[in-house]
Amino acid sequence: MSEATTAVRVADDATPPAAWALLAPAIAFLAVCLLAPLAATAWLSLSPNVLVKFDGPGLDNYRYLFGKAYYFDTVLRTLRIAFNVTFVALAVGYAAALALKGVARRLGSTLIVGLTFPILAGPLIIVLGWMILLADGGPLIRPLVQAGWIGPLRLIGTETAIVIGLVHFTLPFVILTVYASLSQIPDDLVEAARSLGAGPLQVFRRVVWPLSLPGVLSAALIAFSLAASAYVSPHYLGGAAQLVLTTLVGQFILTTFNSQMAGAAAMLLLVVMVILIFAFTRLMSRFIR
Amino acid sequence: MSTVAATGRWAFLLLVYAFVVGPAAIIVVDSFNSATSFPAPFESLTLKWYASIARHEEFVASIRVSTIVATAAASIATALGILAAYALVRFPVAGRNAIATFLLGPLLVPQIVIGLAMLQLIELAGLRIGLAGLILVHAVYVMPFALRLTLTGLARFDFVLEDAARSLGASRWRTLWHVTLPVIRPALVSGFVFAFILSFVNLPVSLFLTSPQTATLPIVMFAYMESRIDPLVTAVSSLVLFVAVGITLALERVFKLRLLG
Repeated sequence: MSEATTAVRVADDATPPAAWALLAPAIAFLAVCLLAPLAATAWLSLSPNVLVKFDGPGLDNYRYLFGKAYYFDTVLRTLRIAFNVTFVALAVGYAAALALKGVARRLGSTLIVGLTFPILAGPLIIVLGWMILLADGGPLIRPLVQAGWIGPLRLIGTETAIVIGLVHFTLPFVILTVYASLSQIPDDLVEAARSLGAGPLQVFRRVVWPLSLPGVLSAALIAFSLAASAYVSPHYLGGAAQLVLTTLVGQFILTTFNSQMAGAAAMLLLVVMVILIFAFTRLMSRFIR
Repeated sequence: MSTVAATGRWAFLLLVYAFVVGPAAIIVVDSFNSATSFPAPFESLTLKWYASIARHEEFVASIRVSTIVATAAASIATALGILAAYALVRFPVAGRNAIATFLLGPLLVPQIVIGLAMLQLIELAGLRIGLAGLILVHAVYVMPFALRLTLTGLARFDFVLEDAARSLGASRWRTLWHVTLPVIRPALVSGFVFAFILSFVNLPVSLFLTSPQTATLPIVMFAYMESRIDPLVTAVSSLVLFVAVGITLALERVFKLRLLG
C-alpha cells in the first residue's frame, strides 16, 4: 500500500535533480553502448545482402529465415532445447533446493557456495568436461555399454548432449533462486500447519509450494533465457548439425561473413525471447496472485 | 521415517553435486595427468602442463589482455552501478521500476547479440574495432550484476545514519566517505569481483570483437580448441578455476561476502 501512495506522490515530477544526475551516466551508457548498437543490428537486418536480394529496407531476411526449412528448424530447435532445459532444471533444482533446506545451516551454506564454482569457472572448462564425459568411449557411456544396459550410443553432436550441458549450466542458478525463496517462508507457518494436523505432503502442497511459486517463476525465467541465449554448449556439444539461433549468428559472421543475415537471426532470437518471457510472466502472475 | 528420508536426501544431494562438479573435476584431474594424449587413463602426477603455459606466448599475452579488459569493464560497471543504485534506493524516483528494469536489461539480451550489435555499430560508423570497444561491451554485459549486488547492499543501509552525520555538521562528501561508503563497501567489493570474474571467463561477448592483439583468454582457448584439444587446455582452464574459486573463498572467509545466493 505505502508503495502505491509513494508512487502517486512522486508521479508529478517529484524526482529530485540529484537522483537524475546519479542515474544519467548508467542510462546514457546503456543507450550508447547497447541501444544504439541494437538499432544498428535492427537496421542491418532489414537490408539486402548476398543471400537475399531485395530493394531497400524490408522484412525479406526474416521471411527467408522462416521460409527455409533448415533455418526454421533452427528456430524450433532453439525453443525446444530451452523448454526442455527449463523443465528438467526446475524439477531437479526444486528437489535439490528442498533437500538443501533440510541440511543443517552451516553445512548447507558451504554446499550453497559450492554451487557457484561452475558459474565462476566459466563455460569453456565445463563444456570441455562434458566433451570427455559424453564421448563415445567416455567414462559415462562405456561402463553402461559393457554391462549391456545400452547399445553403443553417440551423444556428442546430438540435441540430448546440448540439453545435458545446458541443464548443468542452469541448474546452480535454479537451485540458488528456489533456495532463496524457500528460505523466506517463515518456519512458524510450517509449524502452524503441522500442529493443526497436516501431514508432510499436505504441508508441502498447501503451504510450501504455493509460497515458493514466485521463486519458481524467476528460476524458470532465468533458466529459459540462459538456455535460449547460450552459445558455448550448443557450439561444442551440438556443432553444425544441431544449429540453434546463437550458433547460427556465429556461423553467419565467422564463416559466411553475412552481417545482414546475422543481424536478422540475432533480432529474431531477441524478439522471440522477449515475447516468451513477457507472456510467461503474465501467465504466471495470474497463478501467483 | 527420518533415517530413510535422511539417507535418501543425502543420496540425492550426492548425485546432484556429482553432476554439478563432475565436468570441472575431470578436467582438473586430467590437467595433472602426465599422459600426452587426451583424454587418457591416469598415468602419473605432473605439473608439466602448467609449466608449459608460460612457454605459450599467446596464452600469456591473452591473460594480460583479459586482466585489462575485466578490470576496466568491472570498474565502469561498478561505478555506474553504485551511482544508479544509490539514486534508486535513496530518492523517490518516478518510474523507479521501469528504470531498474531498463538498467538490468542487458541480462535479457543474449551475450552473443550484445557483441554482434557493437560490432555492427562500429562497422556502420566506419570505426576500427579496438580495445575500447571490447571493454565497453564487457561493461554492458557485467553492469546488471554489479548493479544488483550494490542494490541489495544499499537496501540494507539505514539512511538515518546519513541524516545524523549531516545534522552533526558533516559535509555531504564527508558523510558519503565516512558513513555511507564504509557500510556499503562489502556490496561494492562483491559487485566488482563478480563483474571481474564474469568478464574474465566470458567468450560470446568478445567473439566478434577481438583482433590478434586484443584476444582475450577465452578467445585464445576457443581458437586453440578448434584445432586440437590437449592437456595444455585443461591446465589453462584449471588455472582459471583455481583463481576464481580462490577469490570466492577468500571473500567468503575474510569479508563474509557471498557473490551469489
